Amino acid sequence: MVRMTSFIAGLSLLAVLLATGTPVQAQQYPPVGGRQFPLNQMSPPGTAAQWAINAGRVAPNYLQPVRVTLPQDGKVTFYESLERPVELAAPAQAALLVGRMYRLKVTGMEDFPGVEFFPSIELIDRLHPPQGREEDFPIDFEFTTEEFEWAANGRLITKVIYLEQPDRVPTELLERTPRITTIEPSRNVLAEADDLGRPMAIVRLGGRTPDPHRPEPSFFGPGGPIRLPAKVTQASAQQRPDAVNSR
Amino acid sequence: MKYYFLALGTVVVVCVGCAMDGNQHLNKGEYHAPPAAMMGRPGPMVDGPGPGVLPMMGGMGGPGMGAPMGPGGMPFGAPPQRPAAPSTTQIRFVGPDGMQIGWLIPNGYAENQLVAPARYNFFQGGTYRLKINNIPGRDSLTLYPTLQVYPGHPNTEAYLTHNSVPLQLTEEDIEQVESNNFVTKVIYLPDARYQELAIANVETLVSTRLDPGVDPIQEADKRGTIMAVLRMGNMDLEMPGQTGKPMAGTEQGGIDQVAYSVDGAQNQFMPPLPIGPAGQGTPGIPGAMMVAGSGMPGAPISGVNMAAWGMPITGTPIGLNGPPHLPLGGPATLQSHTVRNRSKNEIPAGVKDMLIDVKHDPGYRLPPPVSYIQYTEKHPVYSPGELSMPAWAQGQQGQGQYCPPQQQQ
Repeated sequence: MVRMTSFIAGLSLLAVLLATGTPVQAQQYPPVGGRQFPLNQMSPPGTAAQWAINAGRVAPNYLQPVRVTLPQDGKVTFYESLERPVELAAPAQAALLVGRMYRLKVTGMEDFPGVEFFPSIELIDRLHPPQGREEDFPIDFEFTTEEFEWAANGRLITKVIYLEQPDRVPTELLERTPRITTIEPSRNVLAEADDLGRPMAIVRLGGRTPDPHRPEPSFFGPGGPIRLPAKVTQASAQQRPDAVNSR
Repeated sequence: MKYYFLALGTVVVVCVGCAMDGNQHLNKGEYHAPPAAMMGRPGPMVDGPGPGVLPMMGGMGGPGMGAPMGPGGMPFGAPPQRPAAPSTTQIRFVGPDGMQIGWLIPNGYAENQLVAPARYNFFQGGTYRLKINNIPGRDSLTLYPTLQVYPGHPNTEAYLTHNSVPLQLTEEDIEQVESNNFVTKVIYLPDARYQELAIANVETLVSTRLDPGVDPIQEADKRGTIMAVLRMGNMDLEMPGQTGKPMAGTEQGGIDQVAYSVDGAQNQFMPPLPIGPAGQGTPGIPGAMMVAGSGMPGAPISGVNMAAWGMPITGTPIGLNGPPHLPLGGPATLQSHTVRNRSKNEIPAGVKDMLIDVKHDPGYRLPPPVSYIQYTEKHPVYSPGELSMPAWAQGQQGQGQYCPPQQQQ
């Protein structure tokens, strides 16, 4: 009797050990820091900005200065709309409305002759600089040659610009160039940025260009007002008086 | 005896463990939320805007450039909507180089509209008949594939607004077609867990590379979101005397009645004609049930998208038009109208009660709302003369210059 029950107990214990491996269905993206994020890099463009506005995180009428830096000389065009482009030499600085998505055009780079890139910038938060010195603290968008090469090959690059937690960044790193952390597509880049600091903007860069056979104004997005810095305004006032300040 | 109870207890644990995986009672500290795309809809099998749904799926029409502006250029009104989803998908014909692409238009084909490598914006949700010729090394070969451009999906929207969908005919594809095989190429955007490369990119499934019996569309649908499907065979759709083609005569030597021709080589261009829908639902799965409030698309409006109230519907039970029974200007003459169905059908009885179970797996699990907050600010303490004010906070007194602590008196 004892031998029989021992056999049953052993068999049952084996079954328990095998049964504890419950199937776990993988989530679309794994949680970060024990939190699950409904938004990720595959969310429709503009959704994060709209949620930020709807949730009251940012005021929808704030013009946040941004500065676009290229790896070499080139031109950057901001689109208020298809009819109102604002072309500036890189590094190009302009103030864009928070909670909007703007389409940009990057041209004239020596390593990419004749190639046009159309990245987009989605502002989901703002900086809080000293009053009156907003233009001195723009959000930097720095593109690299490698990213443009990826885009020219048909890849989609999604970057999230975030403001680091001041207590997490070593002081000696503040004076170096911006650090870019590349993560795998299977991870949620928005959640990773949120874990490291405060996400400010989403930048998407791909290889799609406007089709000359079929003009598509919606490709340039709804855009929004653009404000140029004062010194740029004075320099370009004689050339394009209608593209300086938006109305 | 104690071994007996030990074995009995273990068997009970096994039996209960087989029925429940423990998630029902154990709090594992996990919270689940659906993806953003799912939060735009009321629930599974229910479509359209509903109560409590975030207005994230709203299209264009927010305060864009045409919206009224307030003082200082600020827009009035509601917060901005996200940009409209792209209505077109940019197909990039990668190669082979020099391949000419035309497509079906009304009254024929538009020739040489594109020369690979080239790209074109096709409207989403349509199927297009292409005409491909001048393939390097196969000058006499002309192919008439169909291209299905799937409707946009929240998962593919970011990709499609910034990238083109590559489409390449490889040497193997053309050899398969010449060998009388049917080639299906499915281009899809893999889900996150199926991304193999470091940078997000599309994947292509080719039917000839899969095991026999494996449907490339179903396989791609499991791995991600389909964006385009190309089906290609060796059927010639422009044979002389072909049925359906306008001809002056059926005998040999008949003259084609072609109203006009469009040739891209002569700088003539014409957009393609969709020959059918694409990606509209899945076969065997009923479409989502539309729910909407007043004024929203999908709301039944009498006389607009449904029959006017009180309008009689004349017809027969077998789908044929019935005889007119309301002559104009005279009394009704028809007093009897009988249709007898003599078919011997064996149709099972209709379903009396219908039950559909839907669920999210895992379902929503959110942390309890905050009910208590303790907020403490700890301020630094300085003695007189130890505080250094920033220059921008000095106002007119500091004239915007740095002021050392000993001068701040």
